[in-house]
Amino acid sequence: MAFYDGLFNALGLREWCDRDASDAPMSMADLLKQNNANSVDPNAEVFPFPSLDNLNDACSSIGQSRDVTAAIETGFLAAKPALKAVLDPITQPLSWMLDGALWLFETTPWWLMISALLILAYYASRSVGVTIFVALSLFVLGLVDHYDVAMQTLSIIFVCTSISVMLGVPIGILMSKFDRFQRFTVPVLDLLQTLPTFVYLIPLIFLFSVTESKLYGIAIILYAIVPVIRLTDLGIRLVDKDVIEAANAFGMNAKQRLLKVELPLALPNIMAGVNQTIMMSLAMVVIASLVSAPGLGRNVLVGIRQLELGVGIVGGIGIVLLAVILDRTSKAALSRVDKASHANGH
Amino acid sequence: MVNDMSKTPKVSLRGLYKIFGPDDQAMMEHVRAGMGKPELLDEHRHVLGLQDINVDMQAGEITVVMGLSGSGKSTLIRHLNRLIEPTAGEILIDGEDVMQLNQTDLRRMRQEKMSMVFQKFALLPHRTVLQNAAMALEVQDVPKAKREAEATKWLVRVGLDGYENRYPSELSGGMQQRVGIARALTSNSDIMLMDEAFSALDPLIRTDMQNLLLELQLELKKTIVFITHDLDEALKLADHLVILKDGAVIQQGEPQGILLNPADPYIEDFVSDINRARVLRVRSVMSPLVDGTIYAGDVEAHDNLESLIALSEGDTRLIYRVLKNDVPIGQMDMKVLVKALVPRISSAA
Repeated sequence: MAFYDGLFNALGLREWCDRDASDAPMSMADLLKQNNANSVDPNAEVFPFPSLDNLNDACSSIGQSRDVTAAIETGFLAAKPALKAVLDPITQPLSWMLDGALWLFETTPWWLMISALLILAYYASRSVGVTIFVALSLFVLGLVDHYDVAMQTLSIIFVCTSISVMLGVPIGILMSKFDRFQRFTVPVLDLLQTLPTFVYLIPLIFLFSVTESKLYGIAIILYAIVPVIRLTDLGIRLVDKDVIEAANAFGMNAKQRLLKVELPLALPNIMAGVNQTIMMSLAMVVIASLVSAPGLGRNVLVGIRQLELGVGIVGGIGIVLLAVILDRTSKAALSRVDKASHANGH
Repeated sequence: MVNDMSKTPKVSLRGLYKIFGPDDQAMMEHVRAGMGKPELLDEHRHVLGLQDINVDMQAGEITVVMGLSGSGKSTLIRHLNRLIEPTAGEILIDGEDVMQLNQTDLRRMRQEKMSMVFQKFALLPHRTVLQNAAMALEVQDVPKAKREAEATKWLVRVGLDGYENRYPSELSGGMQQRVGIARALTSNSDIMLMDEAFSALDPLIRTDMQNLLLELQLELKKTIVFITHDLDEALKLADHLVILKDGAVIQQGEPQGILLNPADPYIEDFVSDINRARVLRVRSVMSPLVDGTIYAGDVEAHDNLESLIALSEGDTRLIYRVLKNDVPIGQMDMKVLVKALVPRISSAA
């Protein structure tokens, strides 16, 4: 005797409800209930919530909640071949790039790699202090034998950030030019930023095999691309209207205006976006170790799973060091750009 | 008052209207039927920016458009290069209707025929003074060496010799505007649009810049359209003065004429604060020669009244003979001069 029986009887739906009813138990819970049919269930609520499961008790024509999850799964599985056929070839280069970068960072001798990184750090920041800090951090990482894993993490960040910038800047430019496109894009960006990071992984695991590196590549890019898009859009929209007017008054065409005026003036904002994108890639690369991304994140995961406190903490400190290196270097580059154009502001 | 008709104007505006709002074309009907600015705003939520503007601007002259803020003067100047599109009317430049140009031709016109100087300078902050000045030619794809040589020439001309490699932020406001003027001159266009070009500068610098402009103009004979809200500036620079109020021209003509015969109380109000002795010239207030008059001396037609008062040491009994190119063209009775100093107020109105 279920609570909602009376409701369906009153609505005259009893016949429809019992159309294909069977007494065969569908689940363990049903079976238990059947056996205890005579005794009163002590946990039974007086007025249960009209959930699918409770309604099903009264009327078997109404599906149960587990049918909903099952339907989603079936739907997803049905769409999978088509989605895969489209997405697989498009995203395949990402796997190659990630694997290639991984190979490059791992096979380059450490002295060559570190020199290259220091030169890059100096070139970007033009600061001796930052370069020395980068050198010290890399030395510490190497000292505790974390050089290899740190390079794996760095190679993933390197590839994902580059792709985010290459895709994000043009998208940001389009958004700043077309209000309609912006209205459509902003909710998507909001969604990408608010989704819990684990949730990204679920559909991706279905679509791609966990052995493919593009799986974590896509997750990282989706998460990290948002700031560079937003700040490119913002930067271009914030360009002084008077300067744009001057560009028009002297007869610049759209391309000249973009390359000679808008992008240079938006550069400080775009660089701030790149800095954020780097930091978010790093955050995501740790979580992506759940889906086989190599690097420092995996050590942290081992620390959690096997309660190896020391391994986890050293991995964590390694990530912090990398984060500080990347942040200092890109911030120094940003403030250099900022100074060059701020000094020039009105 | 009106320009003499023998000259074809360089720039000519005919029946120009601008209505701001989503449905400006439909609003034209109401405006043509005589609806005013406040009614249009109240009843239809459209702003009447300009109404029935007819102005001829002669080649080689400085046309000053003057009005208070909100009078539509900045809107007007932006119509000349179509930074703002008119709702109705014609814009003729060298007899050619600018409204008929497609985007490519319009850009070419902006590059080659017109240059613009802005109130807030609008220089590119990430570029040096030299690169800023060369911008107009860069847009036209002139080779670097050539455009920088041209830019350097004009930078020297406006007094910025040696500042080529500085950035705009390193310069004072006055110097930044010199860069703005050099940039406009580098384009070698006939027409220069100056949108409140000196309004953001402090008074002493402003006077310097006005003198610089007049000095350049003596030599270059550009067609200059100058926007200002400052009557002193307008009177100093203008060959032809256009006074705007609420988007309509209320009086235009030679500045001295406007000063002596203001067409409406609004202008009377405007001109009453002016130092008339300094602005008015002898030629504007002199009377015809009368035979047998005894002259206290000779004066030049373009002398201002202030210098004449100084010359007469305040003696109102004197009469001077007025010469232009050493030919007598009239006489100046000091009594008439003193009367001309009193602004006419139509208190009856």
